[in-house]
Amino acid sequence: MSAPYVLRLLCLCLASFFLVSSIAGLIAASASRAAVRMAETMQPRSAARFLFFVRLLPLALGVGAVLGLCIPSYLWLEPHGTPERVGLICLTLAFLAVASCCLSLIRTGRAMAGSLRCKRSWQLAGRETQLKGGASLALVVKKEAPLLALAGVLRPRMVISDAVLRSLSAEELDVALHHENAHRVSRDNLKRLLLLLAPGPIPFVRGFAFLEQAWAKFSEWAADDEATQGDAHRALSLAGALLRVARMGAGPRLSFLHTSLVAGDHDLSARIDRLLRLDHARPVPFPRT
Amino acid sequence: MPSAVFDVLVSNMIHFFKNRLARGTELIGQMSLGRLEFELMQILWSRGASNVREVIQELDRPLAYTTVMTTLDRLYKKNLLDRHMPDRAFVYSPRLSREEWERRRAQSFVAGFLAGAPASRDLLLSSFLDAVGQHDAVLLDELEKKIQKKRKELFRRGPS
Repeated sequence: MSAPYVLRLLCLCLASFFLVSSIAGLIAASASRAAVRMAETMQPRSAARFLFFVRLLPLALGVGAVLGLCIPSYLWLEPHGTPERVGLICLTLAFLAVASCCLSLIRTGRAMAGSLRCKRSWQLAGRETQLKGGASLALVVKKEAPLLALAGVLRPRMVISDAVLRSLSAEELDVALHHENAHRVSRDNLKRLLLLLAPGPIPFVRGFAFLEQAWAKFSEWAADDEATQGDAHRALSLAGALLRVARMGAGPRLSFLHTSLVAGDHDLSARIDRLLRLDHARPVPFPRT
Repeated sequence: MPSAVFDVLVSNMIHFFKNRLARGTELIGQMSLGRLEFELMQILWSRGASNVREVIQELDRPLAYTTVMTTLDRLYKKNLLDRHMPDRAFVYSPRLSREEWERRRAQSFVAGFLAGAPASRDLLLSSFLDAVGQHDAVLLDELEKKIQKKRKELFRRGPS
């Protein structure tokens, strides 16, 4: 297999990937509001799964087109010795694909570097402790900041500050730890990494922000539901824990690869309202905002 | 049926690109405003620095404290408002005069679109940044009251 033959294949693969993923991405991005509306009718966990699927579908289609169509047909149909040149359109599309992938990798690299920095500093300032309600060892950090988060992608670890540990009651702490544990079980940090890795519809155009933010909200609500298990008393404890953490003031800067207990300022009152409405054995879907 | 699906797709695409164009200004902090956002900005432009309750009193329709609070918070995140906490609640004030805002909005319309959006991680990170940032004390008090009320209600009903 000669070098020009392989390079032509590479250009073709990149161009095909960009073409398929961009068209699918534009359709998904333009339909994101409809997708979120549809998700609002589902239970939070299903909604989060559905939105995650919609967000990653363009990438999957792009990769599928390359692996399932482009490479086999090229290897099967393209003669080896043909002195053929790659066209300008194909080259442009390949360049855009490279740009798009590079942007995603840079974004992911920055997020991972930030996460590692935080994790290292917490490890230096913390001690491992088995907390009641936590499925595994948690890192208790000597900080006054309102820190309660799940850090790490493959082996996520609970990180909690002394201040949070002191201020929450036993029941509040238990339900808060169950909330973070729900993020661990559903591998939300890994999903965050995949969202960062998946390129946008067009380089430099951010088309999936709405979808990603909606996914993040539904993941939080799903974790709330799993932590409270439809129990109004537990829901009340979780609402109390959220409020206590919010009252503790400014917290440390968290990377996108961390899952925090209080995940959004604007979300706080909505989440607490939802938890207080939880009066049934079965979790209720969140009202439209 | 396929033509109806095609129409929906095309209209969604047009909507997306229109939003994309409109959002150009957002990228440098002067995004086009929604209806309520614009109403709140107008109140703050005419009244000057005000807290959430004062803004609510100026509105011509009844809105929940949390709705107005969330919208002001969004405007603050868009760099359109300054805020400080002299007492227990945030006081918001416009960063730009209305004329200045309109001038900058016009200037940044094309530039913002061409510049593209900031990295997704940065914007998504901001929600985490604000997550455990300063909260409006009045809002927190209202939430506390709701929790207390619910606690009493559950206490009256007895253990589940």
